[in-house]
Amino acid sequence: MRILLVGLNHRTASLPVRERFAVADPAARLEKLVTGEEIEEAVLLSTCNRVEVVATTRRLEAARHRLRAFFARDLAGGRPLPDGLSWEAALYEYVDSHAIRHVFRVASSIDSMVVGEPQILGQLKDAYRAAVDAEACGVILNRLFHRAFATAKRVRSETGIAERPVSVARVAVDLSRQIFETLRGKTALLVGAGEMIEMALEALRGEGLGAVRVANRTPAHATELAARFDATAHGLHELSELLARSDVVLTSIGGDRPLLDATLFEHALHARRRRPIFVIDIGLPRNVDPDVDRLDGVYLYDLDDLAGVARANAEDRRRETVRAEALVQAEVERFDGWLSALQAVPTIRHLRARAEAIRRGELTRGASRLGLDDEQRQGLEALTRAMVNKLLHAPITRLRRETEREEGLAYLEAARVLFALDDPDAPGAQADGEVGRPPRDE
Amino acid sequence: MLVELHLLTAAVYLAATVAALLGLALPAPPAGRVASVLLLVGAVVHAVAFTSLHAATPPPPLTNLPAAASMMAWMAVVFCLLLMLRGRLLGLAALVAPLAFVAVVFAGERLALQGALPPSAPAAGAWAHLHVILASAGFALLGVAGLAGLLFLAAEGRLKSKRPAAWGRRLPSLEVLDRINVVALAVGFPLLTLAVVAGLLWSRTLTGRLWPGGAHVIGLLAAWGVYAGLAGARFGAGWRGREAAASALVGFGFLLVALLGAEFVA
Repeated sequence: MRILLVGLNHRTASLPVRERFAVADPAARLEKLVTGEEIEEAVLLSTCNRVEVVATTRRLEAARHRLRAFFARDLAGGRPLPDGLSWEAALYEYVDSHAIRHVFRVASSIDSMVVGEPQILGQLKDAYRAAVDAEACGVILNRLFHRAFATAKRVRSETGIAERPVSVARVAVDLSRQIFETLRGKTALLVGAGEMIEMALEALRGEGLGAVRVANRTPAHATELAARFDATAHGLHELSELLARSDVVLTSIGGDRPLLDATLFEHALHARRRRPIFVIDIGLPRNVDPDVDRLDGVYLYDLDDLAGVARANAEDRRRETVRAEALVQAEVERFDGWLSALQAVPTIRHLRARAEAIRRGELTRGASRLGLDDEQRQGLEALTRAMVNKLLHAPITRLRRETEREEGLAYLEAARVLFALDDPDAPGAQADGEVGRPPRDE
Repeated sequence: MLVELHLLTAAVYLAATVAALLGLALPAPPAGRVASVLLLVGAVVHAVAFTSLHAATPPPPLTNLPAAASMMAWMAVVFCLLLMLRGRLLGLAALVAPLAFVAVVFAGERLALQGALPPSAPAAGAWAHLHVILASAGFALLGVAGLAGLLFLAAEGRLKSKRPAAWGRRLPSLEVLDRINVVALAVGFPLLTLAVVAGLLWSRTLTGRLWPGGAHVIGLLAAWGVYAGLAGARFGAGWRGREAAASALVGFGFLLVALLGAEFVA
């Protein structure tokens, strides 16, 4: 059985191209895909950054054509790709251990646009679940995806690939946790508004941030923002008092000079008995005088500081991918071993069936000739069964072990020849119909 | 047997140090958990060693520096373990464990040299024990406050530099480190005060005078004076954060100098 993966991602196709391939209902597509003869099992992963199909097949060339046609006809509707992009450039293809490695890298977020991002694992689990629901998953893909999830878990826990945040909002949360043990019960002051500052506030609230106060130049705007964030509205004239009551301050308000200066913070620190204040200034130009950072107990981060931390963290994550790749490689080799050993299963089953057919045939003949009663027959039955099992134990164990390596597949051929499994006239061959002949890959 | 127990304790503390440093350097949590377990094992073996020492050489040998240093180290480890129950304090363990290792090696080495610890000052029953136990507990707490101060300054420096290091994320938060400083000072300073009182009463029982004199007494009183100043600044003037951390670290440095200086002079 071969594993084939065909797909496109953020590196091979631009967003307008990827949009064309987005799949809303993978289960329906998969059902159609696995009803043909080319594909045995399939999982379809569709996210904003990638669309991929991983499949198992016995007919590699036919499956390759089927999957390419699936992308061109079923997903893209037969239209040419935008921006003059060729299919060869857009679609990539991985086979066997390369496909396994790709799935493990995707699950571990090594292949993501933002290395180490956690969403891809959830998306992969959803894709797998859809394939299971569509009954498109069999022994191999079940195992492949479970190993992929385990590999991702290992990579996340044993390397620093996902340790350090890379978005401005998550950096703000991370920094706050280095200042405060918990954000529960902490209060925040939002001065002004803006998309980025609101994302940071949402991220901080996700960590349990308590009461939020909103201050703005125009009372109407303050009230509107306060309603949105379940906060209280204030005017800028209250800033001094509000600062004294705030553990986290987020600012993003227009103005040609800093609104919050060191004197204001000095008073606030005095009033709050020098408890620390974490200040996130996303205003352009800056809303907080840089001198404020010199004060003990005030931790001021402006947009450049936050972006600098995010960049450094992203660089660290990229460095960690070297260790992650080594883990993935070890897992790929393990899975490869299992996959090779799987090829021994039909031969082992065949061998057992032949032996059992011979045993039963001889037992039937012998029992009628000797005129055995039921009790004697049962005793003989147990005796012959034990003999067959003991005789087969060593060759079967060796076959299983050897076939975990690619080179060990010669043992399979040897077993078939030695036990005459492909000879229809050999003793016990009448049982072949029960197990079927092992299918051969093309 | 005593020497072997001390060596075993030292080995476990050393292993805990390595595990704690690995826990800070690596993202995987197992090393951190191993460090906590090793520190706990070290504290148990240390307690056994200490009990054996107490049983082996009457009168109790608490009144000399090696034994007192060993007891301080044990109390600091126990305090650190109690704090670790409440949060991510691997950074503190990474500082307490090596100091405990040094203290135990010091005590063990003296044991190996002398066979058993001779009393360096005349022992005088309950007051002497009380003095040594209270002083050791107070110094242990104030030592942990100093180490927490060191961590605070390191973590705060990285935050202020706008280049927070990966290991910094595994340190306790500034809030927790500051809280350790408050608790250690609030409990440690009264213990140290009681130790001074017990020491004076011990002196009176022994010599009939409250002021026995000597480097040890001067060192202890100087340390008490420094910590009285720190407690006043923290609880009176409202010092916290960087000021409190730096002063706790300076106080700890003074404490070490006073203890070692007194031993050297003696």
